[in-house]
Amino acid sequence: MKVIFTAFLMTCSVIVYSQVRISGTVTDAETGEPLIGGTIIEKGTTNGTVTDIEGRYQFSVPGPDAVLVFSFIGYKTVEQLVGNRSEISLQMETDIAELEALVIVGYGALKEKDLTSAITTLKADEILKTPSSTAMQALQGKVPGVQIVSSGAPGSGSTVRIRGVGTLEGESKPLYVVDGMFLDDIDFLNPADIESISVLKDASAAAIYGVQAANGVILVETKRGSYNSAPTITYDGYYGIQRAQNILQPANTQQFVDYALATGSPADEAFISNAFQRYGRSRINTELPDVNTNWYDEVMRSVAPMQSHTFTVNGGNETSRYSIGAGYFNQEGLVKQVQNSFERFNFRTKLDVAVKDWLDIGGNINLTKSEQHVAPEAVWFNSYFAVPIFPAFDETNTAAFPRQLGNAKLLGYRGRQNPLYNMYYSDDQNEAFRALGNVYADIDLIPSKLNFKTTYNYTYNNLNVRNIDFRYHDGITIFSPELEKKTETTFRQNWDNILTYTESFGKHNITAMAGYTVWTRNWQQLKIFADTLAVSPSFDNEELWYFNDPAQEINTLRSGGDGENFTGDDGEVFNGTSYLARVAYNYDDRYLLYGTVRRDGTNKFQEKWGLFPTIGAGWVISEESFFNAEPVDFLKLRASWGKLGNANVDASVGQPTYEIENLAIDDRLESGVVPIKQFDFLDRWETTVETNIGVSARLLNNRLSIETDYYVRDTEDAALTVILPLIRNDVRLNVGTFRNQGLEMALNWSDNLTSDLAYRVGGNFATLKNEVLYLGGQEYINAGSAEFRQRSIVGEPLEAFFGYEVEGIFQNEAQITASGLDPTFVSESGIEPGDFIYKDQNDDNIIDDLDRVVLGSFLPNLTYGFSLGATYKRFDLSVDCQGQSGYKILNRKRGEIIFTQDTNIDSELASNLWTGEGTSNRYPSAAGLRKGYNQAMSDYFVEDGSYFRIQNVRFTYDLNGLDVFGASIPNARVYLTAERPLTVFNYNGFNPEVDNGIDRQVYPIPAVYTIGFNMTL
Amino acid sequence: MKTNRSFFITMGLSLALFIAPSCDSLLDEPQETLILEEGVDYSNTALVHELIEGAYYGLYDIQWETFPLISVRGDDVIPKGDQEPLIQTDVFNYDRSFWMYNSAWLNLYSDIINWHAAIEELERFKAAGANADEVDQFIAEIRVMQGFELLQLARVWGNILIPNSSQTSTLFETAITPFDAVMVYISDLMDEALPNLLDTAPNQRTYIRGGITRHTALSVKAMANLEIKEWQKVADATGEIISSNRFSLFPDYYTLFKTAGKLASENILEFQFSDFGEGAGEEVNYLNNFFGPSNWTPAVDGVGTGWGFWEPSMKYITFMLDRGETERLETSVLFTAEGIQNLEAEYEGTLPPFISNTTREGDIWGTTDGSANPRSIFSSGKHYLPTTEMIPGRTSYGSNKNFICIRYSEILLMHAEALVSGASNASMSADEAVNAVRTRAQLSSISGVTIDDVLDEKFAEFGMEWGIRFYDLVRHNRTSEIEGYSPEDRFLPYPLAQLDLLPQLNDG
Repeated sequence: MKVIFTAFLMTCSVIVYSQVRISGTVTDAETGEPLIGGTIIEKGTTNGTVTDIEGRYQFSVPGPDAVLVFSFIGYKTVEQLVGNRSEISLQMETDIAELEALVIVGYGALKEKDLTSAITTLKADEILKTPSSTAMQALQGKVPGVQIVSSGAPGSGSTVRIRGVGTLEGESKPLYVVDGMFLDDIDFLNPADIESISVLKDASAAAIYGVQAANGVILVETKRGSYNSAPTITYDGYYGIQRAQNILQPANTQQFVDYALATGSPADEAFISNAFQRYGRSRINTELPDVNTNWYDEVMRSVAPMQSHTFTVNGGNETSRYSIGAGYFNQEGLVKQVQNSFERFNFRTKLDVAVKDWLDIGGNINLTKSEQHVAPEAVWFNSYFAVPIFPAFDETNTAAFPRQLGNAKLLGYRGRQNPLYNMYYSDDQNEAFRALGNVYADIDLIPSKLNFKTTYNYTYNNLNVRNIDFRYHDGITIFSPELEKKTETTFRQNWDNILTYTESFGKHNITAMAGYTVWTRNWQQLKIFADTLAVSPSFDNEELWYFNDPAQEINTLRSGGDGENFTGDDGEVFNGTSYLARVAYNYDDRYLLYGTVRRDGTNKFQEKWGLFPTIGAGWVISEESFFNAEPVDFLKLRASWGKLGNANVDASVGQPTYEIENLAIDDRLESGVVPIKQFDFLDRWETTVETNIGVSARLLNNRLSIETDYYVRDTEDAALTVILPLIRNDVRLNVGTFRNQGLEMALNWSDNLTSDLAYRVGGNFATLKNEVLYLGGQEYINAGSAEFRQRSIVGEPLEAFFGYEVEGIFQNEAQITASGLDPTFVSESGIEPGDFIYKDQNDDNIIDDLDRVVLGSFLPNLTYGFSLGATYKRFDLSVDCQGQSGYKILNRKRGEIIFTQDTNIDSELASNLWTGEGTSNRYPSAAGLRKGYNQAMSDYFVEDGSYFRIQNVRFTYDLNGLDVFGASIPNARVYLTAERPLTVFNYNGFNPEVDNGIDRQVYPIPAVYTIGFNMTL
Repeated sequence: MKTNRSFFITMGLSLALFIAPSCDSLLDEPQETLILEEGVDYSNTALVHELIEGAYYGLYDIQWETFPLISVRGDDVIPKGDQEPLIQTDVFNYDRSFWMYNSAWLNLYSDIINWHAAIEELERFKAAGANADEVDQFIAEIRVMQGFELLQLARVWGNILIPNSSQTSTLFETAITPFDAVMVYISDLMDEALPNLLDTAPNQRTYIRGGITRHTALSVKAMANLEIKEWQKVADATGEIISSNRFSLFPDYYTLFKTAGKLASENILEFQFSDFGEGAGEEVNYLNNFFGPSNWTPAVDGVGTGWGFWEPSMKYITFMLDRGETERLETSVLFTAEGIQNLEAEYEGTLPPFISNTTREGDIWGTTDGSANPRSIFSSGKHYLPTTEMIPGRTSYGSNKNFICIRYSEILLMHAEALVSGASNASMSADEAVNAVRTRAQLSSISGVTIDDVLDEKFAEFGMEWGIRFYDLVRHNRTSEIEGYSPEDRFLPYPLAQLDLLPQLNDG
């Protein structure tokens, strides 16, 4: 594949078209002043230039068919056909140009200046800055109120949260609408195929999507061609490397042995003496075994490649326009040995035909095929915990086959620890094929007044999962091969019928829409699992990884007694029909009114129909005659209220059920039924009600833009687990109320200093306060595990960490005595110097569960981002930074000691343990780490996750028009990108981005360095 | 042109107006894969059997942590491994936040409440015409299951809540029942069940072989009355089992705990597990890893180790050696070389030859290179299945092994305990009962047995089984035997999560 692309590229690069040279001057229509730094772009391309200090420009276009687009911040954009002119000068009229731009609002578009709601749009240029398989990654730090938690694993998407989390039981991911199709994610799309991403943040903007919109809506438009433009072909691609960063240092043999001996545990001493016996003594330090394994080094590659290549052909004549694309993406993972990669092919075609002057018909189709090999998560878990005193490969483990991998059980440990077993003896593959497309007819019933559009959207997704474990012997136990196969198909369709009416009379402008839509989603799954195969599988015989042995018996219950089924068949049908309407009214560009309503019906809940209205109003103060604040070009106040639904909750009909269970009677397999009388009763979606007020402003000749929003977002009827006494069967009911509120602000400034030097600065931040308001009468609901308690308490954030507050470490006996703790409590708990001082919240002189308090939330209360950019002649440099703060991460890596106490710890902990008076006021002694008293959930395990990151640094060099060997280079750029080159944080882990705040085995997030090339012919 | 356009407009609007409302039927499609009780056909009497088998599933599906919590506190066994709060529980430092407390509580109570649900469903089948005798028998069997688990709950927590339906909402108002009253409740519950139960030995049942019979109910009744020292009731219940002549001690104590002992005529209640005779595929097993050694050389290569959590105490072993026990010691305790070394240091006499780190079947316990065993240095032999008896292909420790709960020897010794405590019963004398157990253990007979003899015999016979030893010591105020125990340690504190839900527990 790579070879083909390279060959193609080389072919392209030698074709050079004849060029037409254009020049001219651009001035302000009112003042006649030259406009400095105005942009002139050849339409449909990235070919362009800027005006100099005298307002002059000069550049080349392919021929007389080219259309020039003149734009300048604060002025109306003008298009000019080149024709046979060689000089095009013009006077530009001031305007709030971008405010005139159409913003996609769902089933239609509105001018930005007419909006009363909070919508943020990101364009292709900004999306393509980020080398990633998924476009959502590009939003990180750019859209206030949108939290992106990235994932480092190849092919896995980011977690996206819009304005906090308003659900406990349901999904909190937004609804994605790609060219009208409802989807759960856009990770399958090639980011280079996307024209724009719009985030509908507030309820007013999203309400038109009704029962599926409560988590926010993300609208995605894919690229299309332009009428009357010559065909162009664009290549955009990059090649880069990923490099793991902020690698956690585990304790080495020296540190580990010191720590293990310091615990005073005879068992640990025994393990170490076993290591001496097996591997000998180190010659450097004879007190240590002659082995020092850094497990991260054993499992991790230092660099892993990543590449992306996209070709796009765009063009159009008077009656049709088209866009055709092909893309290839490949990312390798950071784990050695095991297949750990993501490869994707994207093909797309989009066509619009103006059949009649009143009829447009078009459609698009987008095909994606991807193959993902997932590294076992346990690799990261095991690498942290594996002790350094046994080797990855162990010749003395003679019983093991096919490889002699080290096994900690040989030293006496409970587990074998070595992560290489996960890597050498398994392969997990997800192969996906997705078709996404639509056809539409757009009819002007009354020209430029009444329009009817019917669109049929569909997507078919087929996912084949194949997880295989090979047969091996770890020196102690033989493991049988296992093969699991799973096929999932999803077919979804939306059929939208939309009638739009536009009318203006006098100072009144009205856009009204009414529509009807039907949608269905059908998901099916089949799976099969077996633990005997005809031929023992290995990486060398992938062709035999099938259940095709006629003697093979497929059983129905899996080994291991966990009751998981060998075979399975499952399905889900989710249908809906909706009626929708919208009115946008504008009086004299000063007063705005906006309202939508959607009546949504679904088959999912007993409550079939829901009504989701919104109303918004705007006041453009800057248009008022009394307004004459000179520096302010545009000022709008807006307010809105709306209601949304979250149908991403498992419905429940509220009836007792029969569960089928297997048991043994007299060595025969029997099955029985267990009637379960406790039942969930969820008869409706969760409802979100939001009030948003905002200010939009443009100042100082439109060089400064400000968008700010304040919102209060309540989720009502939230599905909630109600814990029942005495029984494990908790039930879910629609009884909760949660609140998210916050302030969002985005500021952007751009200006030209000289004709050669332009710069731009932007910044944004968002605050979030997440709070539980009502829990169906309960004071709290537990979450997390009993050992690492999280609790949703009325008045506190959802699923907040809950435990003791550590005040320090007892340094000596006197301090324990003086602490006021009850002496019986001290002796029963075995409190010694080197143990934690917990805060006795209720002053009863004992530390018990009544002393637990909220220790923080995994949701950041502040997210921010800022960017700097400068263009000087052919050079362009942009720097994006972002950060999050005010959130906590549960360091389960350190917490796991309470389950298995003799495994390794991290170097930072090992070297800073309390070893005597005055040595540490933060970490307990080695022996203390093993003590139940110190293992209670406390803020020792709950760390601050705040981070600051240089997100993206991009350096671009414009090659357009350069002479190389006598030929002029066409519109082309090269760029160097460093993605996430630096992250600063204090958290003791690989990375501070942990989607649910629990770090047990998180894939490291690599820095990515790429070189890219973009060319349009 | 004009007609064209009108045509399209008419078409478009017709589509929208006529097809649209017809799509509303999509909303009536039911959710896939959901079986509702509403859909249960109560005239389908085959479901009656499914329900009783589901009830047995609840009984047999004992989560691994429940047994250790019930059994940990005696002087016969010491928890090893990495569950620090379990180790602390053994020395009576309780932690009401410890996950095992809440988990064991929920395991037992969930069974009891689901069994109420099963009883309620069975009643509906009966009303719909199912065989009334059979339904009554099944309900009685479920009552026995409830009695057995309530007994375990009360032994661990003392005063408890007694649920009396599948509806948990009433529990918020239910007062706690004091320990003694719980035992009376269980005894009465067994009396209520007795008339409807099969009068046969469990292994003589045809349908659900190994299931609950009249004698299981009598056993539970005896155990409940034993706890409250209602000696005569104990003697009567055990006497009835003895004189039924349906039970006998399995001739070989060692193999009773191996495959040969599955559904033996000694077993009055046993949880059944199986590999179904196949080396791969379906299996239903207890997680025996808890009991297994953390290091061994099995006779059959590749069989997995355990966690080394359950170590017979040195006190138990020396007690057995002092008594001259052979088969019972060899059965109950498995020795590592390191354990034998420690024992030699501790024990003054010479060790009998059967004390070896190799079992009869050739499984070698613990490390063999002289290195230390990091967890248990002895293991429970009653929870061990020789690898040579395992079905080839299976590699989980103790796979295919049943879990015995009530044995006839316990009936005999409870009988003796009641008689020497003042009860009378004609079916068997205390001497006869104790000697029957001793004879099977290849010990000589004794006469004029005292309560000390009975308790020692129970210690020797039931080491590592169900905490029998601990509850004996507490009942007879012999708690000086257990280090660190004080009277307030008799019961565990209620799990914190339950205290939060049920304020009335604070009064318990």
